[in-house]
Amino acid sequence: MAQARALGRAAWARGNAAEFVQTHVVTIAGGLLFLLLAVFLLWPISAVLVKGVYGPEGFTWRFYERFFTAYYYRSFLNTLLLGVLTTSVCTTAGFCIAYLTTRGPRPLRSPLKWLTLLPLIAPPYIFALSIIMLFGRRGFITQLFNLDVQIFGFTGVVIAQTLAFLPLAYLIIENMLTSLDSSLEDSAANLGASEGKILRTITLPLLVPGFLKGSLIVYVMAVSEFGNVAILAGRTPFLAPDIYTIVTGIETDFHMAGTLSVFLLLPVAIIFLVQNYFYKDRGYVTISGKPSYADPRRIGWLILIPMMIVASVAVALVVLSFAVVAIGGFTRIVGIDNTFTLAHIVDWRANHALISSLKVSLLAGLAGAALGILIAYVVVRGRFRGRAAVEGLCLAGFAVPGTVLGIGYLLAFNSPPLLLTGTMIILVLNSVFRFAAVGMEAGMTKLQQLSIEVEEASRNLGASTPTTFRRVVLPIIFPAAMYGFIYVFMTTMVSLSAVVFLTSPAYPLVAVFIFQWAQYGYIGLASATTVKVIAIVAVCLAVIQAMSRWTGFSITRRD
Amino acid sequence: MGNGAMLVIHDVHKSFGHVGALRGVSADIDKGELISFLGPSGCGKTTLMRIICGLTKPDAGEIILEGRVINDVPPDRRGIQMCFQNYALFPHLTVTGNISYGLQVHRWRKDNIRARVEELLHLVQLGGLGDRRIDEISGGQQQRVALARALALAPKVLLLDEPLSNLDANLRVHMRATLREIQRKVNITTIFVTHDQVEAMTMSDRLVVMNQGVVEQVGSPVEIYEKPRNEFVAKFIGYVNILAGVVKDTSDASGSAVIDTELGEAEIALGGSRLSRGEKIYVIIRPEAIRLEIRKSAGPMNFFAGSIRSVMYAGSTVKYTVDVGGKDLIVDEYDPTTHGIRRMGERVVAEIPRSVHILRASSGAPAEGG
Repeated sequence: MAQARALGRAAWARGNAAEFVQTHVVTIAGGLLFLLLAVFLLWPISAVLVKGVYGPEGFTWRFYERFFTAYYYRSFLNTLLLGVLTTSVCTTAGFCIAYLTTRGPRPLRSPLKWLTLLPLIAPPYIFALSIIMLFGRRGFITQLFNLDVQIFGFTGVVIAQTLAFLPLAYLIIENMLTSLDSSLEDSAANLGASEGKILRTITLPLLVPGFLKGSLIVYVMAVSEFGNVAILAGRTPFLAPDIYTIVTGIETDFHMAGTLSVFLLLPVAIIFLVQNYFYKDRGYVTISGKPSYADPRRIGWLILIPMMIVASVAVALVVLSFAVVAIGGFTRIVGIDNTFTLAHIVDWRANHALISSLKVSLLAGLAGAALGILIAYVVVRGRFRGRAAVEGLCLAGFAVPGTVLGIGYLLAFNSPPLLLTGTMIILVLNSVFRFAAVGMEAGMTKLQQLSIEVEEASRNLGASTPTTFRRVVLPIIFPAAMYGFIYVFMTTMVSLSAVVFLTSPAYPLVAVFIFQWAQYGYIGLASATTVKVIAIVAVCLAVIQAMSRWTGFSITRRD
Repeated sequence: MGNGAMLVIHDVHKSFGHVGALRGVSADIDKGELISFLGPSGCGKTTLMRIICGLTKPDAGEIILEGRVINDVPPDRRGIQMCFQNYALFPHLTVTGNISYGLQVHRWRKDNIRARVEELLHLVQLGGLGDRRIDEISGGQQQRVALARALALAPKVLLLDEPLSNLDANLRVHMRATLREIQRKVNITTIFVTHDQVEAMTMSDRLVVMNQGVVEQVGSPVEIYEKPRNEFVAKFIGYVNILAGVVKDTSDASGSAVIDTELGEAEIALGGSRLSRGEKIYVIIRPEAIRLEIRKSAGPMNFFAGSIRSVMYAGSTVKYTVDVGGKDLIVDEYDPTTHGIRRMGERVVAEIPRSVHILRASSGAPAEGG
């Protein structure tokens, strides 16, 4: 690389611009990507932060004063508690299930895994709908057992958010458990440690980075994806719905929204820093020997049974929720008029929104995957200063609560030079920059496995950097790009937190539709539309799976 | 051996699905000896180790430790400790934390643990490194931490699964001596698994050569090298010159036989083997036993004319491939600095020694003893 730089400098001296670009193409690409990330992430986020301390009169703390004197600080404390509760329950359940699917009884593994992942294809607030239909005042279970439960408030919100984000926690922890060298646990067993002792002294400590990463993601989702929260909160105030009300209500107040956003962002920033600076060099990705095809050690009953209980409760609730939403979509008014109807499913109002959601999601998926892979390449292979900044900025887009980024886009792109509000572009861009990090992470993993010598061989044979990228690198990291595409596509189809601020009558999004209907109490319509969304996402996944022979990417197989 | 053995592996079978990983493996291991299980990768060595220490259950067969069948004894009660190929050191613990893990699990008293760890660190020459993190020490040091951790509970048997395969060449040679020294000092019965025949020969009291889930031969390094029981063992242990031949004549008086080999006729010493006329055999010749000389023509028996087809210089030796009428012979010559290096294409005469190892072609079994 030093050689390349010297060559580049020589080319510059000779005034040969084409040659200069040739030798510095990765660095130049890195610069351009940084510029893009700065415009579409740094700027909007800064805009939100600035709003909170910059009123019409100039710099001021008065919005922060109001935050602590009005009821808003209670929203903050509630949100904090919601985040902590959801994250703890979610990672605990996620761990139990991941432990069972990697070390538990073989016949259980696969079904348990797929049932746990089921919520990924549905909008997160499917659980608000199902909880109302199951445990609401006229809910199926409430009436069946004549219960007197109060689901509006913390209980309902925590249950709904836990179920909604269980797949994320599960996937991250399962990934860590799989890559954990099983000979470590074997070795502890060989030294005489009991199953419980191994879990406590080896497995759990080694999973700390995974828990932190999972916690960060679940926390962000739990506090910012506010569909469930807004529908189930009742009188309990939370930050994200408050921000929504402040921005979309009668007296729009971006300054107060900016202040509240800071408090939504603060805990996230702290976890992000802890994860990246305290645990970065403690990633225990152990040198895995040959994969052990040997019998798994048996899990003792004392550990198996509690884990099975946790897993069964979680999975039962997921299955029940999907069932009840399917029923709700074909019932006139659940709990009051339980007669079959096709009225909700044929309702035409959602179809326009469905189509525009599909368009936005496909575009965002393609662009998000491409951006993620490009950033991954530049970060792994580039040798310029500021690589870490490009990576960090991209990750920040993922870690910043969607609510904050939604408002940021509204503030940043509401006026020239980039007037984008009300267009489809702003919806696509928002999703692309929020979720590109997923493709980036997948791409980085692939690239780190691919030895640089393979690329050098290609260059040595006369290929230019772009040719090498196209002919050698791209085929190898294509599965990562597919993964990025699927994630961005699915999440854009169902996510609410950011786009709720950005949709316009010309480009309505189905997620926003369902959310508003559920809020107004049209549970049947909301359920029927949810069923349609699930069906579309499922069909898309099936198509991708059917193409796996050509794409090299299979949903059922992990690389 | 026999009844006095410390550990007996009796007719162990294990398959994974349709793949038979072990197909009736038996071996006796004596107290205090270092025995190597040698074989190509995939021959079932690692599976056998996991069965011995209890991490995998055999489909059939018995593991007998000090006269007691231990098939159903859980891994932690066997007193058999395994050192994993990739060391399996706990990355979140220090060197001391790793070594003391087993002691803590067995609820040793704190001051006893401290003393024991100190003793072990001294034994593996890691004094003063106890507080280091695992990623702060070198590969060779990690190897010794793994050894100390396995020795901490004073096991009856120590299993070393390819312990040196992650080290670079020089360190590996150095660690052979270190490992052997520690093993002798502690006098611990040790099973050593490797696919490197030089490593196995230099370190072990005895070798067990395995292939595709069965034991091919058990013996001392000298026995295995000088009298390989069959073609597989001969090839695996480093013989490259295996000539097919037919017994043309035998003479009990001189104790020799004339063999009609692929190269031509050769007279060999019988050395206790009994061969009959017309029998098909293999003649196995060590590369260092063949002498090359420059002569005009092939002499009587045992001298075959050929030309040098390739030269591989390796410092203390030169390895030549000699083309003898279309058949390649591999010949090692020592001390090329003194004797000079032959040129490619040079005409030479190769002399096959009278004392060679003979295998019967039909059974693949050695020809001795009848």
